[in-house]
Amino acid sequence: MFAQSKTSAKLAVTVLAVTVLLGLPALNAWMPAGSFLRVSDFSINLYGKYLCYAILAISVDLLWGYTGLLSLGQALFFTLGGYMMGMHLMRMIGSLGQYHQPIPDFLVFLGWHNLPSFWRPFSSFWFALQMVFIVPGLVALVFGHFAFRSRIRGVYFSILTQALTYAACLLFFRNSLLMGGNNGFTDFKFLLGQDLRAPATQRWLYVATALTLIGTYWACRWLSRTKFGLVQQAVRDREDRVLFSGYAASHYKLFVFVLCAVIAAVGGMLYVPQVGIINPSEMAPDKSLEAVVWVAVGGRGTLIGPVIGAIGVNALKSWTTRAFPDMWLLILGTLFVLVTLFMPKGIVGLPGQFLALRNRYAPRFKVPPAATEPAQELAKTK
Amino acid sequence: MKKHLLPLLAACMAFAGSTICKAADTIKVGVLHSLSGTMAISETSLRDALLFAFDEINKAGGIKVGDKSYMIEPVIVDGASNWPLFAEKAKQLLEEDKVAVVFGCWTSVSRKSVLPVFEKDNGLLFYPVQYEGEELSKNIFYTAEAVNQQATPAVDYLLAQGKKKFYLIGTDYVYPQTTNLILYKYLLLHGISLENIGGGLRKDDSGKVISAGKYTPFGHTDYQQIVSEIKQFAASGDACVINTINGDSNVPFFKEVAAAGLTPADCPVVSFSLAEDELRALPTKDLVGELGCWTYFMSLNTPENKAFLGRWDSWLKEENHPGVVKEKRAVDSPMVLSYDGAYLWKAAVEKAGSFDVDKVREALESETIYFDGPGGKITINKNHHATKNVYIGETRANGQFKIVKSYDQVFGEPFLLKGLDEKLAAK
Amino acid sequence: MKLPLVLALAVLLAGLTANPGTALAEADPVRKKLAEAILSEGGEQQQLLNELADTGSKAVVEILTAWSREGVFIFTSADNSKIPVILEEAEDSAGKRRALRIEDGQALRDSQGSELRFASSELAPADTDMRLRSVIQQALDTLALSMGAPDSRRSAALKLGNSQKIRYLPLLQNRLSKERNSEVRRGIEEAVALLELSGTDARTQIEAIRHLGQLRAIGCVDNLKSTIAKKGCAPEVIAAGKEAIRSIEDHIWWVNFFGTIFHGLSLGSVLLVVALGLAITFGLMGIINMAHGEMIAVGAYACYVVQNLFAAGFGFSVTLPFNFFGRPLHFGLHLPGINATGWFYETYFLFAIPMSFAAAALAGLFIERTVIRFLYRRPLESLLATWGISLAMQQCFRMVFGANNVQVNSPSWLLGHFTINDVSFGYNRVFVIGFAAVIVLATWLLLTKTSLGLLVRAVMQNRTMASCLGVRTARVNMLTFAFGSGLAGLAGAFLSQIGNVGPSLGQTYIVDSFMTVVLGGVGSIVGTVCSAVGIGTTDQVLQQTTGSPVTGKIIVLVAIILFLQWKPGGLFSIRSRSLD
Repeated sequence: MFAQSKTSAKLAVTVLAVTVLLGLPALNAWMPAGSFLRVSDFSINLYGKYLCYAILAISVDLLWGYTGLLSLGQALFFTLGGYMMGMHLMRMIGSLGQYHQPIPDFLVFLGWHNLPSFWRPFSSFWFALQMVFIVPGLVALVFGHFAFRSRIRGVYFSILTQALTYAACLLFFRNSLLMGGNNGFTDFKFLLGQDLRAPATQRWLYVATALTLIGTYWACRWLSRTKFGLVQQAVRDREDRVLFSGYAASHYKLFVFVLCAVIAAVGGMLYVPQVGIINPSEMAPDKSLEAVVWVAVGGRGTLIGPVIGAIGVNALKSWTTRAFPDMWLLILGTLFVLVTLFMPKGIVGLPGQFLALRNRYAPRFKVPPAATEPAQELAKTK
Repeated sequence: MKKHLLPLLAACMAFAGSTICKAADTIKVGVLHSLSGTMAISETSLRDALLFAFDEINKAGGIKVGDKSYMIEPVIVDGASNWPLFAEKAKQLLEEDKVAVVFGCWTSVSRKSVLPVFEKDNGLLFYPVQYEGEELSKNIFYTAEAVNQQATPAVDYLLAQGKKKFYLIGTDYVYPQTTNLILYKYLLLHGISLENIGGGLRKDDSGKVISAGKYTPFGHTDYQQIVSEIKQFAASGDACVINTINGDSNVPFFKEVAAAGLTPADCPVVSFSLAEDELRALPTKDLVGELGCWTYFMSLNTPENKAFLGRWDSWLKEENHPGVVKEKRAVDSPMVLSYDGAYLWKAAVEKAGSFDVDKVREALESETIYFDGPGGKITINKNHHATKNVYIGETRANGQFKIVKSYDQVFGEPFLLKGLDEKLAAK
Repeated sequence: MKLPLVLALAVLLAGLTANPGTALAEADPVRKKLAEAILSEGGEQQQLLNELADTGSKAVVEILTAWSREGVFIFTSADNSKIPVILEEAEDSAGKRRALRIEDGQALRDSQGSELRFASSELAPADTDMRLRSVIQQALDTLALSMGAPDSRRSAALKLGNSQKIRYLPLLQNRLSKERNSEVRRGIEEAVALLELSGTDARTQIEAIRHLGQLRAIGCVDNLKSTIAKKGCAPEVIAAGKEAIRSIEDHIWWVNFFGTIFHGLSLGSVLLVVALGLAITFGLMGIINMAHGEMIAVGAYACYVVQNLFAAGFGFSVTLPFNFFGRPLHFGLHLPGINATGWFYETYFLFAIPMSFAAAALAGLFIERTVIRFLYRRPLESLLATWGISLAMQQCFRMVFGANNVQVNSPSWLLGHFTINDVSFGYNRVFVIGFAAVIVLATWLLLTKTSLGLLVRAVMQNRTMASCLGVRTARVNMLTFAFGSGLAGLAGAFLSQIGNVGPSLGQTYIVDSFMTVVLGGVGSIVGTVCSAVGIGTTDQVLQQTTGSPVTGKIIVLVAIILFLQWKPGGLFSIRSRSLD
């Protein structure tokens, strides 16, 4: 009875959350401006960004919380996905750029007159979509194959992923790579024929992001309940025993690594049209660290934790840069230290912590009557 | 007594009410700069200059539109040297705070990332920092130095001093790349041969030069190889270095230059992104005689500048905005151009009689808005750029510049590449 | 026995304290000409300067040098006559200095006869522009040909040669016969050959060209190229020229090679100093300390504070944006300085080094006791917590010292360079290399010869067993972390000499230090040394070959990643029998 009410409560909460998530664009579209319930265009855009970050956080958590691999380079895949979509969006600007040329602005000021060959296929949306999956996946495949084959674990793996993202960041900052250099891609105008800056398009993008987030969440939840998920968590707990039991742990790890890279890339793909700019600084090591912090604050090892962490921390960041621009790094840093020290399970683990604290200081649960009956029976028989 | 109490009370209330009603209205303006991160070093001073301008305007009665006076209420946001955050903050300023105008941005990346936001929301941005040109947006007014107000006058000066070899070095992003490309073509036009332009050339598939000079990323610290290359380049004695390194990489570069024994007498370095503010962190005693070219120097000996500096000093003593550092301040060109921008906007609003962006833009494009700033008279032109004086200065041991040449009222022209290409083709 | 020593010391002391003014009070006609030159302009000024250049007077050198550095001022007396003066070094309590007339070296006096004192901002400096300075420089070079250090004599000769003014030829040839120092002789020979090159006689030209080729004169390549490209040049001259250019370019290749090796060593020593502390803390405790970069910044800022304490004093004030019951929170600190000058001020760096170590060690101790102590069994959480600490520390730096970079001046004994066969070695780089070696040696001694080091190694190998044997692991952790942070502080002191000091100083080095540590093998000092030097040298070599500073770095990073696939433990990994 108790268990049943728990699942139905959970179901109710889930339905409510999904409704709120999907209902926000409706509030944006149909409430008149100035009304209290109106969600402004700016807010829809901001929430869409938070949801993309939530997708990135899920990918970090799937690797860290479920497989025990702390990757300090997930932002690399996020940004690569963003770049693939960005290339398509740059082609969609057509001749409406600052220089009124059919090639992207940054190529014009670098002195190019024609489009380099590797840019041409990106005029097709489907090609760009495929590239969002293929390019980050390929990078993850190659890196992961070499890393897991040599049984690189723990801290070394983290440092290596950091080196990878740092090297990629340096590479993309170079203008000679013809990927926008320090400017990155910006000034997007159209996507699939729709004007990117119209509120309607932004709402649809928000809805797409929310649906992707929900889909990813359910898919990862399903995965963690299959046998694959069990092996994955076993790898996290004791990898050598998994090896002794006959499983090729490196294959499992590689699969998860590539999967997480693709998830992050999809998040990046949805991020770029909403934010309007992609730039190599998104690949910098500190961005990946931020993603890890979201997961830590939200609670790793769960799937709702990263979502809460990503949305919560980013909301806090937006608020503090406005309210206390001189102090926000201090606040954020102290917050992370406190979370790590006192909330090892994150926000999701807070109820559990309170419960444990309460039980320690004021045990109040009643012993159920059924437990004493056999003792009474025994006493009777004696 | 009681008979008179009620009318007395009413009179008091009316008086109080009228004073409250007479209290000035406010108008929000946005300040969008990096107050943290790598660019904070340069951009916090711009915020301070803007606060100074706003306080001055408010003290003088605010902006008069119609028959009301509006006090400026600044909304300051921190872009944190993070370009996507700049776009988000710009959106916030225009859509949430609904500011009438934004003063902001330093790097070209930040400007390019907020440009679409301003065009979409029809906002107004005043941009004060020297840049590479080749841009013209109807929503941006550039009080900044265009390439022909900074780079080419400096090169003219060096050519006149008899320099025959030019080494180009910069940070790897749009401003140095474009400026160096322009200067490369300019030098070729003036008869400098290809092997006397140092730093390396990169060509595209068809053999056309698309990048000239040596580039290092932001925050790069290791200049040993580059300085030894410059030393060899300058061994013949008539070389100079054109430096578009941006940000704090200038410090390790100049420390390496000083350590290698490259003196300004042998090989002067002209820097386009170094002003009095950045010189505070450099070993200026070893760098006497290096060059800079701006449209304002703190050492300008004009009555307007002296009065301005006096007012700035007293404002620094009295003000209590959070985060403003009071000691050892220097004033440089981007700060003055920010200050000028605030006054130019005020003049445009008062001429247009409204805060509406389209009307203000029309007023600015009428080429009648000008301001007698500390650097001289600055006038906004139809091409959204400014006409102002240009000065070339040499660094002194105390971190100031000594002005060696000045050009009066140079018209700011952003589009230079096409003209140079045509002239080169005709040669 | 002791008497000669005392006498020698006395002479030395006398020499050190000798008033520079004494050198100025002589040679009156020369001084009169000098004063005239300062006040005149244009062609007359140039003529006078040329004449002064031939005098060989030390006073002229001092005053001309001061002039080019804006140290000569013009005082307008009551009767409107302009008197060029120079200000003495010594400042009195009001910050004013005595003015010495250039004409006769005596102090400037007013009509009553009392000495006039000025602060340097009160007088108008004698104006110079680029052209005048180059003329002054040429005069100084002519004078420097026979005076001063060998390095300056050599460069003076080269500058005269490059001026292509044939009138310097007899002067240089004259000097050649008197010069003893081989380096300087070479320079003068180069200059003579250069001047002969500009002549017209083919035979002297070929002789000069051959000579330049033999001398490996790098600065003359351009002149050679332009000479043989001139129209009407004889074919033998062209052939000789090409030969000479080829041999000089060969020489340049070798100079670059050794230069690159030196640059690699110096970059490697910087990496080494930065990464050594991290190797120890990482190796000992297995925690990833993302605040290591901020320890470096603490050391650099400590150096800045010491520098200010030796000068005018140091102070800061911080206003928090919160209001505590309506009153703003405000705190600050002001420390008076000792206003040291001269050579005592230059020694500040020697005091700054131990201060940096101490400051960073204290900071590390504080962090360890408050935060890291609870995170030993959780290495990945320690990463997060230390990253939070690094953010907070960066903001604290910003609040206390300002968001701007602060200026740390190099002491004069670290400025400059020396050259061996055209390869130049900067003093500050040599100092870093030397000190890095000393630090490595000291750490090795600490770890192998002291009891603390023994305990540290034991805990590193097997913590639980060491604890069972009675080692107080908590205390060992604390001291080791403090030591590692102290080493980072030392790195900060060096980095303040070669780069800038700002709140984000740490961020620029953190990734590189991790790479170095992981490549070398965690916990191994030899490994860290090898990997630091290896990374430094490879980076510089790649920079030299690819021509771009960034490509080299990217290739090095990729190479490290690939190397770690092959040897996951790094170059020198600690072998243990445990499973992990």
